[in-house]
Amino acid sequence: MTAAMGNRNVKIAIFLVGLFIVAILPLFFNESSGFIDDCTLALAYIVMALGLNIIVGFAGLLDLGYVAFFAIGAYTMGWFASGFYAEADIHVFVGEFASSIPGIHVNFLIVLIIAAAFTTLAGIVIGLPTLRLRGDYIAIVTLAFGEIIHRIAINGDEVQIAEGFPLTNGRQGITPVDKIDLPFIEPFTSLNLRPWYWVALALALFVLFVNFRLRDSRLGRAWIALREDEVAAISMGIPAVKTKLLAYGTGAAFGGMSGAFLASYLNTVNADQFAFSFSIFVLAMVILGGLGSIWGVVLGAVALTFINYRLIPDVLNDVPNKVGLDFDLSELSFGIFGFLLVIMMVLRPEGLIPERRRQMELEQGIGTGDTELDLVEP
Amino acid sequence: MVNGIKLALQQADNKAGNFTIKYESLDDSTAQAGNWTPEATSQNARKACQNDKAAVYIGEFNSGATAVSLPILNECAMPQISPANTAVGLTTDEPGADKGEPDKYYPTGKRTYTRIVPIDTIQGAALATTMKEDGCTKVAMTNDKEVYGAGLSRNIQLSAEAQGLNILFNEGIDPKAPNYRSLASRAQGDGADCFVYAGITANNAVQLYKDFAAAIDGVKMYGGDGVAESGFADPAEGGIPESVGANVKLTVATLSPDDYPPQGQEFFGDFEETYNEPNPDPYAIYGYEAMNLALDAIARSEDGSKEKVLEALFATKDRESVLGTYSIDENGDTTLTDYGLYSVDGGELKFDKTIKAETGG
Amino acid sequence: MEAASLPAAKPKALRVVQDWLSKYGLIVVLLAMPVYYGIQDLSDEGDLSRLGGNIVDGLSNGSIWALVAIGYTLVYGIIELINFAHGDVFMIGSFTAAGFFGTIGLTAGMGIPGLALGLFLTLLVCMLTTGALNVMIERVAYRPLRGAPVLAPLITAVGFSFILQNVGLLWRGGSQEGIGDLINSQNTLFTITGVEITNGDLLAMGTTIPLVILMVMFITRSRLGKAMRATAQDPEAARLMGINVDTTISLTFLLGGMLAGAAGLIYALYQTTIWYAQGFTAGLIAFTAAVMGGIGNIKGAVLGGLIIGIIQQIADNRIGTEWTPAIVFAYLVLIMVFKPSGLLGEQTREAG
Repeated sequence: MTAAMGNRNVKIAIFLVGLFIVAILPLFFNESSGFIDDCTLALAYIVMALGLNIIVGFAGLLDLGYVAFFAIGAYTMGWFASGFYAEADIHVFVGEFASSIPGIHVNFLIVLIIAAAFTTLAGIVIGLPTLRLRGDYIAIVTLAFGEIIHRIAINGDEVQIAEGFPLTNGRQGITPVDKIDLPFIEPFTSLNLRPWYWVALALALFVLFVNFRLRDSRLGRAWIALREDEVAAISMGIPAVKTKLLAYGTGAAFGGMSGAFLASYLNTVNADQFAFSFSIFVLAMVILGGLGSIWGVVLGAVALTFINYRLIPDVLNDVPNKVGLDFDLSELSFGIFGFLLVIMMVLRPEGLIPERRRQMELEQGIGTGDTELDLVEP
Repeated sequence: MVNGIKLALQQADNKAGNFTIKYESLDDSTAQAGNWTPEATSQNARKACQNDKAAVYIGEFNSGATAVSLPILNECAMPQISPANTAVGLTTDEPGADKGEPDKYYPTGKRTYTRIVPIDTIQGAALATTMKEDGCTKVAMTNDKEVYGAGLSRNIQLSAEAQGLNILFNEGIDPKAPNYRSLASRAQGDGADCFVYAGITANNAVQLYKDFAAAIDGVKMYGGDGVAESGFADPAEGGIPESVGANVKLTVATLSPDDYPPQGQEFFGDFEETYNEPNPDPYAIYGYEAMNLALDAIARSEDGSKEKVLEALFATKDRESVLGTYSIDENGDTTLTDYGLYSVDGGELKFDKTIKAETGG
Repeated sequence: MEAASLPAAKPKALRVVQDWLSKYGLIVVLLAMPVYYGIQDLSDEGDLSRLGGNIVDGLSNGSIWALVAIGYTLVYGIIELINFAHGDVFMIGSFTAAGFFGTIGLTAGMGIPGLALGLFLTLLVCMLTTGALNVMIERVAYRPLRGAPVLAPLITAVGFSFILQNVGLLWRGGSQEGIGDLINSQNTLFTITGVEITNGDLLAMGTTIPLVILMVMFITRSRLGKAMRATAQDPEAARLMGINVDTTISLTFLLGGMLAGAAGLIYALYQTTIWYAQGFTAGLIAFTAAVMGGIGNIKGAVLGGLIIGIIQQIADNRIGTEWTPAIVFAYLVLIMVFKPSGLLGEQTREAG
């Protein structure tokens, strides 16, 4: 008992030291350095990957349309915090520059909450029709929803909610988007990335905390039970509909929050961002790290962000040229992700840091392969 | 375009007045998207801001990307010269711009952006004028829904209506569609005799022109500078077949090599010599001039600091350039307004004539 | 399907409506668009030639989707896997065709006999390439995962789809590429009651119909075809009966891949534009077609392909090309949720 508690204290200590290092990291770099930029993106993607992990990792519902929640979150930011609806003139707790241009400008923190609410709703709406489907059909239906949202984003400039209020700005993009404006501190700028980093870190910590609490809660166990054996779980009295919808809802909310943050950070909401390949990018993070494993997913998100934004375009880009091949490595980026998915699934399906439960299954034979096989069968 | 930029620098011997210039190329596109990404664009803009020695930012090529990089560069007061942006709202609130433009791109309230191509109001008018002159009555219009394409199509529509041309429809296309036969047959059913596309080649323009050419007998087809490149015009590079090209006319803000002042003539000679390419794509000369303007402004700035270069840039008056003599106005726009009309002949762009367009707005 | 969703006793009238809907609802939904626009055409223009044109274009586009859809349906029928990479195999087929034209120097100017021979050769090359590619994918990405959770091979399939797209990207660049119009695809061949039939239409339908008939005959008549059906119904029993299940599965992938290769060639000739991402959209459309007809059911896949082709052309013509994909995906969702067994009924292990 005391040994276990000591173990727990050590873990907390390691976590706090790690957190401290991560928190002061930007101070060692120039305030607009590319490294901080990549780190901020990585943190935002951690939030998304953890959201997807709830749906795919915990509840075992393969969602191939996660980009939909990124889109809805980003558009919430575009609608409520930019000059896009120039006919309106609404300013709620925003800084000087945002107050000076027409449009709807609402403080980031409020938009964050609205984005979470919208995406939760969207998650439930997308989740509802998939409830009775088998696993591979869920994948296709969510993919189709993702593509439909992408299409609506592209063509939303033709859809008028009211005169002068189109749904989206299509491929022209809503640009610029308001910068984050927090009470009591100076407004953020595009040149000093440290505050952005810390906001992203705060978001990631919040989502991490919620993830841990959920996993160890009654709901988390219900998700895992449904994932492992749906029929048995239902006969034990787990309400399948409610449990699955909660997975979609929470997972989606995280995607939406990250989307709202990224809209402000990247300063644009452009329909071209919301393509299917982004869903796969996030899914690859979850799979690389380990389905259902929280720290694994964090690692996966950081690794893939750096591979995508640093390693491939900057560090290794010239390698094919140097060995006499006529292309840049950045042209291969999606092939590399595809390769990663295949290799991971064939050689190490449990991911880099396997979920504790799966590890037990593999090493100690707790649970059998058969229950895994039935994972998605009704 | 990049070749044009490099040529200018090479000719100036990497010097502007007393300053040595270093050119750093930042690419904002990924091959996967075949297009710019907001992440890479903003990272490039920040890289430029961070570099104390950077005095001018040349770019972007795409108006949508400028909307992303401009607010960042504006914050660090970095002078920016675009060799290719034509979207109206980046500099003025004339018709074609959205409400809130252009102020929303300038968080500091100070102008830092200039361009050396005429804005879309002029190109839209040039296309509408040409179609009117060619006797078009019913025009089927398509656009690729991007900043450039959608904006240009709005401007064509405005100008066409002012000149009494009937625009049947203005369809945003899906660039991933396998073909546009049904769209073309709809235009044919509506009695269209002309077709115009506002957009770039990479958004499936080749298929679009082929399908309209097949659906409507003897249709006259038009396009903007977004398709004025060999990848569109030359069948050997995957462009439209020659039979289709025979009916296509394009407007480009580049004039015939013969219509340029002597400096311009020289450029074409030098370009051919350096890159062994007799027909540079129409934007090569703009890349070249963008760099020359940058060098000129740096030379005039006395100390080469960003502030002085910016001042010098906006003070550009009656500059004799490869493009002709022009000034930069207080919005950062060029005073040049001429457009060239090109036809497609045997896979190459051939200059027809210069259009003096009535902007009508 | 599951205990929680067993319907409680409902009033009889409601049940009659429900039965009727589940039987004919899909057909009604599918007919809604053509009928609506047909009536509109009749009242506006007095004839149906516009709708007729849409339908002919739809049938020829649809026959390409049908060939791809058969590949999905065969694979799903036998190992219950959505072979996500199938659309990209089709894309490789188009690329092979375009590359091979160049190699043997086919141009539109060669007389008909030379062209026909060249195209036939290309067809063989395409079918062999994509067939072999599909078999290879099964070996590398799916076979090691037999017995793993169902989601695992689906993820490797997505991975392979990306790898193939990247191969295409490196091969012929990142944007659409116009290729030589060998058959004068859009040349009007003849006109029936105001509806134009083009060379391309004839080629698409004229190649698809014999290939489908051959395929159905192979599966119903030949020993190997019987082995395929046996494996699809019960792999264990099939194994006990002396059927080599692994070989049979490979054969299924080979057939599916060959049809995708044929579709790739027809697509290249018909559209005259190819690009690396054509397979992704085509794959989703073809999958929709397969589900619409009833997954595992070859005739269903063909029917579904043709219907989707018509829906697309009507949407292109009346609503706008930019909305067409959204409409197709909306149909996909509707069918999967409300009528997962499709028009002609699914033929898989679960369906019995």
